[in-house]
Amino acid sequence: MSLPDFQVLRPRTNAEAVELLARHAGDIRIIAGGTDLVPSMRQKLFTPKFVLDIRAIAELNGIRESAAGLSIGAMTTLAAIERHPAIRKNYSVLREATITVASPVIRNMATLGGNICLDTRCLWYNQSLAWRKSCGFCIKKDGNLCHVAPGGTKCWAAFSADTPPALLCLGAQLEILSPQGVRIVPLQDLYSGAGEAPLKLASTDLLAAIHLPAASSGLHGAYKKLRIRGSIDYPLAGVAVTFRNGAGNPTANSIMKDVRVAITAVNPAPLLVREAAKQLEGKPFGEATAELAGELAGELAAKSARPLTTSALTPEYRKEMVRVLAKRALLSLA
Amino acid sequence: MSKILIMLNVNGRSHEIACEPNTLLLDCLRQDLGLTGSKRACDDSSCGACTVQIDGVPMLSCALLAVSCQGQRITTIEGVAEHGSLSALQKAYSDWGGSQCGYCTPGFMMTVNALLSETPDPTDEQIGAALSSNLCRCTGYVQMIQAIKAAIRAEQQGRAAKRA
Ligand SMILES: Cc1cc2nc3c(=O)[nH]c(=O)nc-3n(C[C@H](O)[C@H](O)[C@H](O)COP(=O)(O)OP(=O)(O)OC[C@H]3O[C@@H](n4cnc5c(N)ncnc54)[C@H](O)[C@@H]3O)c2cc1C
Ligand code: FES
Ligand code: FES
Repeated sequence: MSLPDFQVLRPRTNAEAVELLARHAGDIRIIAGGTDLVPSMRQKLFTPKFVLDIRAIAELNGIRESAAGLSIGAMTTLAAIERHPAIRKNYSVLREATITVASPVIRNMATLGGNICLDTRCLWYNQSLAWRKSCGFCIKKDGNLCHVAPGGTKCWAAFSADTPPALLCLGAQLEILSPQGVRIVPLQDLYSGAGEAPLKLASTDLLAAIHLPAASSGLHGAYKKLRIRGSIDYPLAGVAVTFRNGAGNPTANSIMKDVRVAITAVNPAPLLVREAAKQLEGKPFGEATAELAGELAGELAAKSARPLTTSALTPEYRKEMVRVLAKRALLSLA
Repeated sequence: MSKILIMLNVNGRSHEIACEPNTLLLDCLRQDLGLTGSKRACDDSSCGACTVQIDGVPMLSCALLAVSCQGQRITTIEGVAEHGSLSALQKAYSDWGGSQCGYCTPGFMMTVNALLSETPDPTDEQIGAALSSNLCRCTGYVQMIQAIKAAIRAEQQGRAAKRA
């Protein structure tokens, strides 16, 4: 399959990029690593007149440490994130999630900005034009029916990126540039929860950087993912967990503080499971009590998961695996 | 769509190419430059048969626009032979059955070649992780692991012989 016709614009600075986005608003699509957009354009899921290639903008690339925390440029590759010593040491849950994305070669291209802005996915959507046409176009693209929830009027395509649950646990903030200027948005406010239009991002917005607050540095954290093969596959369910303990050593029986649990790939948006955070806060955590904490986190995480038949494996199995993965994540930290 | 002129540096040579702006690097290499070593095997950027190196880093040429690769060093399987003869890795792949139908082989070569330049003596785990980027439906991967280890031994012996 060939790509639709488009022109490629290659700005050198953020200012130039924002100017081009405004000039061609509605007819333009940003390409970062291209590992999501290129296959999607081949399937005619996007047919923009202009493609804005932001690879040559140096100011969008790189990881900077400061007293406020860590700032990661949107064009930083996942390969660079997995190798960065400060991320390995202080924000380990992000590294754990990053190394499960796709494959090592794809992570050489894939960017953090692209991972956060990943389109939602569905078996009935990520298909060629001929395939979609023969089955009947759906709500997400070109039509008005839903193959997953027949008779429904909403799209349930699943948000299937791995790093956002880890970033939600870390309290990540997004720096977004637009013709109106710079704005800082908490990551959870980026997601609309609607499968057909999952991001609250205008076509004139450029995600410039992701900030991880210093307050989240050093949290204990883990990310567990369900996939069919050990590499290349998108998540079919994913759970991130972070917390801090007073003793500074998770094996001693200590008290869980600042608990966060987040899930992905089972809803149209990645979600913080607030009830799990609330109920686990202040609970003891150690070798003897991790099991109990894991059960509780798993039960509440599974309650927030509403998988449908948008991907391989049954929704029942994926929901059950959210419970299991949350428990495994906590047990791995005991 | 009207064509544009781009400059690409492939295997150490500069090429001026007239292509459409939506041309994938893979198609540009195969059709405009006649470098058919890089293969297309899937339609969703999942198999690795099209792997090339951009500034020494393995990437999928089916997910890259040719225009975006200007100013970078592109290396394809045609560029890895040493002084006109097969590299140690290529020889070992043929000796150990690391290649059967051969369709996936150029992609694997580009991935493994990058692994060995960064990590000349990788652990089994590192070899396995690198191979996890590419799909092969023939070999079962075990022969490839044997071939890679044989290539490493051959390189080490070659270096030792040079020193002696
Ligand atoms: C075979 C295969 C397997 C995969 N497996 C996984 C997986 O396991 N887990 C996973 O999370 N992902 C997976 N992916 C998807 C993808 O590789 C990653 O999500 C990657 O991080 C996307 O980043 P990118 O830079 O390539 O995005 P692109 O394709 O360049 O962009 C993705 C989207 O984000 C928008 N965008 C990108 N950057 C910006 C920005 N700075 N500002 C505003 N909008 C922006 C683009 O317009 C586009 O809509 C897989 C992809 C493939 C092909
Ligand atoms: S052709 Fe399959 S990944 Fe490029
Ligand atoms: S040798 Fe046939 S696909 Fe790998």
